[in-house]
Amino acid sequence: MKNNSINFKRQVTIKLADVKLQSALSRLQSRFVEGRAAVISEISDFEETRTAAAAIRDRVLNDLEHWLMHFEQQATARGAIVHWAETGADVNRIVAEIAVQHGVRTAAKSKSMVSEECGLNDALELAGVTVMETDLGEYILQLAHEAPSHIVAPVVHKNKEEISDLFAEKHQLPRKTGIAELCREAREILRPAFLNADMGISGANFLVAETGSALIVTNEGNGRLVTTLPRVHVAITGIEKVVPTLEDVTTLLRLLPRSATGQSITNYVSVLTGNKNKDDHDGPEHFHIILLDNGRSSLVGSEMQEMLRCIRCGACMNHCPVYQNIGGHAYGWVYPGPMGSILTPLLGGLEKSPDLPNASTLCGACAVVCPVKIPLPDLLRKLREKQMERGMKSRRETFMLKAWAWLALHPPVYALATKFGVRAMSLLGGKNKLLHTLPGASGWTDGRDFPAPEGLTFREIYQRRNRQ
Amino acid sequence: MNAREKILGRIRNAQARANGAAVAAIAPRTEAVASHLALHPRGPLPPHPDNLLARFKECALKLSSDVLETGDRKEVPTLLARYLNERNLPVSGVCWPSLAGLPWSAAGLDMQPRPAKNQDLVGVTGAFCAIAETGTLMLLSGTETPATTSLLPETHVAVLDPRRIVATMEDAWDLLRREYKQPPRAVNFISGPSRTADIEQTVTLGAHGPYRVLLILAPA
Amino acid sequence: MRVGFFVTCLVDSMRPRIGFAAIRLLEAAGCEVIVPEQQTCCGQPGYNSGDRKSAKAMALKFLAEFEAFDYVVLPSGSCAGMIRVHYPDLCKDDPALLARCIAVGARTFELTDFLANIAKLKKMPGTFQGALTYHDSCSGLRELDVYKQPRALLASMPGVAINEMVESTTCCGFGGTFSVKYGELSTRMADNKCQHIAATHAGTIVGGDLGCLLNIEGRLRRNGDSTTRVMHIAEVLAGTEK
Repeated sequence: MKNNSINFKRQVTIKLADVKLQSALSRLQSRFVEGRAAVISEISDFEETRTAAAAIRDRVLNDLEHWLMHFEQQATARGAIVHWAETGADVNRIVAEIAVQHGVRTAAKSKSMVSEECGLNDALELAGVTVMETDLGEYILQLAHEAPSHIVAPVVHKNKEEISDLFAEKHQLPRKTGIAELCREAREILRPAFLNADMGISGANFLVAETGSALIVTNEGNGRLVTTLPRVHVAITGIEKVVPTLEDVTTLLRLLPRSATGQSITNYVSVLTGNKNKDDHDGPEHFHIILLDNGRSSLVGSEMQEMLRCIRCGACMNHCPVYQNIGGHAYGWVYPGPMGSILTPLLGGLEKSPDLPNASTLCGACAVVCPVKIPLPDLLRKLREKQMERGMKSRRETFMLKAWAWLALHPPVYALATKFGVRAMSLLGGKNKLLHTLPGASGWTDGRDFPAPEGLTFREIYQRRNRQ
Repeated sequence: MNAREKILGRIRNAQARANGAAVAAIAPRTEAVASHLALHPRGPLPPHPDNLLARFKECALKLSSDVLETGDRKEVPTLLARYLNERNLPVSGVCWPSLAGLPWSAAGLDMQPRPAKNQDLVGVTGAFCAIAETGTLMLLSGTETPATTSLLPETHVAVLDPRRIVATMEDAWDLLRREYKQPPRAVNFISGPSRTADIEQTVTLGAHGPYRVLLILAPA
Repeated sequence: MRVGFFVTCLVDSMRPRIGFAAIRLLEAAGCEVIVPEQQTCCGQPGYNSGDRKSAKAMALKFLAEFEAFDYVVLPSGSCAGMIRVHYPDLCKDDPALLARCIAVGARTFELTDFLANIAKLKKMPGTFQGALTYHDSCSGLRELDVYKQPRALLASMPGVAINEMVESTTCCGFGGTFSVKYGELSTRMADNKCQHIAATHAGTIVGGDLGCLLNIEGRLRRNGDSTTRVMHIAEVLAGTEK
């Protein structure tokens, strides 16, 4: 997917004015935020489980080479074929080659954010393979030619009416208005796609090193269908998704659905190991697992490594006051919200996403809910430091920061500057004690008044009193 | 150098740098990996429920599964027939071969012991075990236990021996390790009917999998 | 108890009365309050903008000025969080310096946290009649666990009724330089906050961080609300100066 995060600021203006989007986002907040709060209380010691989950992820990341190799060995022993891809383009090439190798003409796909990184669908269409998205949300987006705006609820930005119109137009059927009817219609349209697909494409939420398995969590059952019916199954995931043992993945499963959708468990958790036995009636004859790097390995051992703990639950965006007001599309790439504001610059280049690390108040709501305790605000701040080190900040901002620091380190000058500054501002504030415009700070005064200072600084008054 | 070597090489060098070593020391790392695999320690667990069966039923109902119980496995077809008739659902479908011996036709049901096809509307399976913590079924794929039976039909019926209810998924893994050397092609944990909340975050039952899941608890 | 009082740069220039209210509270709690006169800024604006070097220089300046006190108190959760949580990060490469940061950090408190948990002030010097609503500022809440403390202190005042707003813990959109760099977004977040405040019909919005309060007041006034009072909690607890 093309990285469009350079346009963040322009997108913010558009999204803030989008009334339909705003009402859709408020729904997300009430369902997912309240749902999570209700369901985490089921775990007797949620904090202890979070700590354990973070430790599990760190264990893997601190030894990623060995865990990947162990996974590969186990998966291969069970008949899976493990592929390594350095870039999204490599994934596309590998999947196209697999398609040719097995004579694949149609593919049914369950939701995979990694495949969105690669732009897999377009590449496969070019290679002559028809791809059908089967997750309801992703299917809707495929019909509408749009990108997901949330990693768990991809079509959160659309309301029921828009989906009714879209289905009526694309399916050429009478327009349905009930949500259940819409779901039924999509089910009936998509069922043949599962049955006829030569290839099933999925992501993998985790890779279990102990058993060489790919683990997939879904609610709709499409994940099970695409990994059970077609004769070829291709699972695409990031190299960081390895987890050591079945016990370790179980700890993570206690947190993933609770953090994501407020469910104690997803409807389906499928642990897929190897291809079908010769006497089995179902299951793929060929199981390919593609491990994508796409910049992830550059985070290993770095001060940004903690970002690789991420299990893609979306809790950080659900709780982010910035995401809640602008939705996912404004961020310009696959991953929105706090985790996206870190991953997009890290995987796609800081110079292409100058706003993302800065468009946060560092309020910390994301870090509190992250099931694997990623210090998201700290990582955002580290990216800001990198921007400073590499001279990527505007000359004006750099000057202001340096000037402020110089003043703060020279108290007598600081005292003089503030003394005259507050007097001037106080006078400008007039009788209402409000400044309606402020040179250089139109960002503030376009939407807010600036309350005027009292007129004297604390230190002036304090010194005066001390002298008396 | 191929992609595998490049990726693993980058990771190796980065980790060596992070640990302040010129080359990553391989032996102790391999040993640490092996020892964690051998011990496969458990993380924090929920408190053990006083009554596994009661907890399982409570959680299964919360997931919108239906639950029926009988002390006699031969009664299963009668219970199922009543359930289907009450809801005006079709009375024919497929079952796992291991359940072919139950008196289906005596109860007015037509259950074919074969894997499910798209047209089949009722699928009856057993279960490897069930998990009280979440009200979840654990099914293993295999020649005699096809995965499609719990997936394609609109109604999934699972006949479960209540003695096979364990407390947690960790207990289920241990049971799997005891009874099999390795996991089958597919281990499917099923927690109620398929659902989606993609449209306006409104939960709708029956997405691509079954619309309803009926659990019949009956000792083997 | 010898308490070093860090006024914070914002209170120093914008609202000196908050500083004096805080001192009255500390003195009412029996503290000997000292205000080091060379103090300026804790370094947070630079730190959060990626200027680590300047922030560290300010951390060193702070250490030199405040290390000697039994306690350091600030009328701001965000500056207190900077000292307690982030100074150690700034000094992590120098073990001796790190130890000093951690030691002084452990003795550094946000005002209400100090009054409620350390000084255990029971009788507030001020009086307040009526309903108010409390906004939880992000750093105080999430870095220092300041949530119950201001509410407990307010509840001890006979005339005070606390009308809780929904989402009192959601960011108001200030975020330091964020409020200028991403003005539109910041304004929308402030607007959401103003709606929650209005829905309480409290008439007074109280908070523990002046940055948030200026942001909220700025949006209230621009929206034409000239009556809702915006007060720092120190002003409520200490009362206005005679």
